[in-house]
Amino acid sequence: MTVYIQSVGMTKFGKAENSTLKDLMLQAAHEALQKAPGMKIDAVYVGNFMGGSLANQEILGAIVANDLGLGYIPTAKLEGACASGGIALRQGVLGILSGEYENVLVVGAEKMKHASTADVTQVINSAMDRDTSEKHAGLTFPGFFGVLANRYFYETGASKEHLAMIALKNRENALNNPLAQFQKPTTLEEILQARHITSPLGLFDCSPTTDGAAAVVLTSKPTDIKVLASSQASGPTMMQDAIDLLSIPAIRISGEQAYAKAGVGPEDIDVVEIHDCFSMTEMLAIEELGFYPKREGWRAIAEGKTKVTGEKPVNTSGGLLSRGHPIGATGIAQIVQLVHQLRGTAPNQMAKQPRLALAQNLGGTGAYSVVHILERV
Amino acid sequence: MKVYECCDIESVTKKIYCRECGQEITNEREVPDKGNVYSYTVIHVPPAEYAHLAPYTVALIELHNSNVKLTVRIAGEVEIGDEVELDEFVDGAYVYKKTS
Repeated sequence: MTVYIQSVGMTKFGKAENSTLKDLMLQAAHEALQKAPGMKIDAVYVGNFMGGSLANQEILGAIVANDLGLGYIPTAKLEGACASGGIALRQGVLGILSGEYENVLVVGAEKMKHASTADVTQVINSAMDRDTSEKHAGLTFPGFFGVLANRYFYETGASKEHLAMIALKNRENALNNPLAQFQKPTTLEEILQARHITSPLGLFDCSPTTDGAAAVVLTSKPTDIKVLASSQASGPTMMQDAIDLLSIPAIRISGEQAYAKAGVGPEDIDVVEIHDCFSMTEMLAIEELGFYPKREGWRAIAEGKTKVTGEKPVNTSGGLLSRGHPIGATGIAQIVQLVHQLRGTAPNQMAKQPRLALAQNLGGTGAYSVVHILERV
Repeated sequence: MKVYECCDIESVTKKIYCRECGQEITNEREVPDKGNVYSYTVIHVPPAEYAHLAPYTVALIELHNSNVKLTVRIAGEVEIGDEVELDEFVDGAYVYKKTS
């Protein structure tokens, strides 16, 4: 059995003042279904993290099925912090691989902009193990990546400027993506001088709060896009449990498993969407996924190798940093960008149309990682 | 401070099974509270429940005579490598200070 992608849909990312969580889900799903005419959907999986705590809305799977008139089909919401979307997608893939379903609708969505930063930070902290002295010390989610960044600087030749280069690259990519949240140009100087969030990370090093949704229709019927591999791993849920602070094992293992299933290596991948919840996370992910050696990613960044025009384009959508990060939607939005790249219709379309694409979606401080590899056939 | 060990993996939090050998973890030992700053961050944007503390420093400490790391809050500025010791345990948090 092989799984293919039929179609994708995505809302504008940013502040959707007049849309509810349901509105966003339905808009993205409707767009994807319009490009899947006559296809009977057998199941729905929704990726979402804070619908209950921030929007006071659960039963998202049933709402999607009901309001789209999909019938009495099985549905579920999947939660895996910021990897909720990738995990929902993977459940859809597994549902088809098992032979149970032929066509599955996967939706990722989040509604965050109506809440205060303090409240959102508080809810995001539920993606850490709260039953520990680490939580009581006041470590936050961005704080974890700030601690990593200081250690990375200490052990390598990297500095805040290399993180800024990642943020700038992703912003430049977002400028060409009409669905991206941030479309105002910036400069290295502005990024370096921005206010501190969790030093050394500043405002531009951190992904924003975002409203948005994205959707994918998966099918067992052959199309031009094959899901070559789907893999998932878990990792330490506490910073103090890291064997190597500069390693996120869940990323490395999910990547290794995906390469093994696909029968390809990191050198074969043409275009990448990585989970840059922070600029520092993109730095570690390009190393853990085998694109560059450990503690050497900063050199590749400085040489422009991950730009659209580089040898390994990363986050041509603008990434979480500038496309935006509606938490449950992120893992699906990555797929939307990669499907467009493979079909030759993407913002920042690569000059040579890519054949192999990789998406990596992270949850928590390395608690979950999901990798999908797509192939144009 | 009590640490738990199996297969050379030491942690301040007790896990049930060892991820290396699969056996139940039974080894416990005491290590000094003192250590060195392994890395740190200054949190300027706190969650609502710690808003009154901001900005505050959270550090990862490497405890002496072990490979155990511990996440703590520290008063004042620190650098990687600084020698630190336990000051107090408040509301479930280890609060450290630089060794004078």
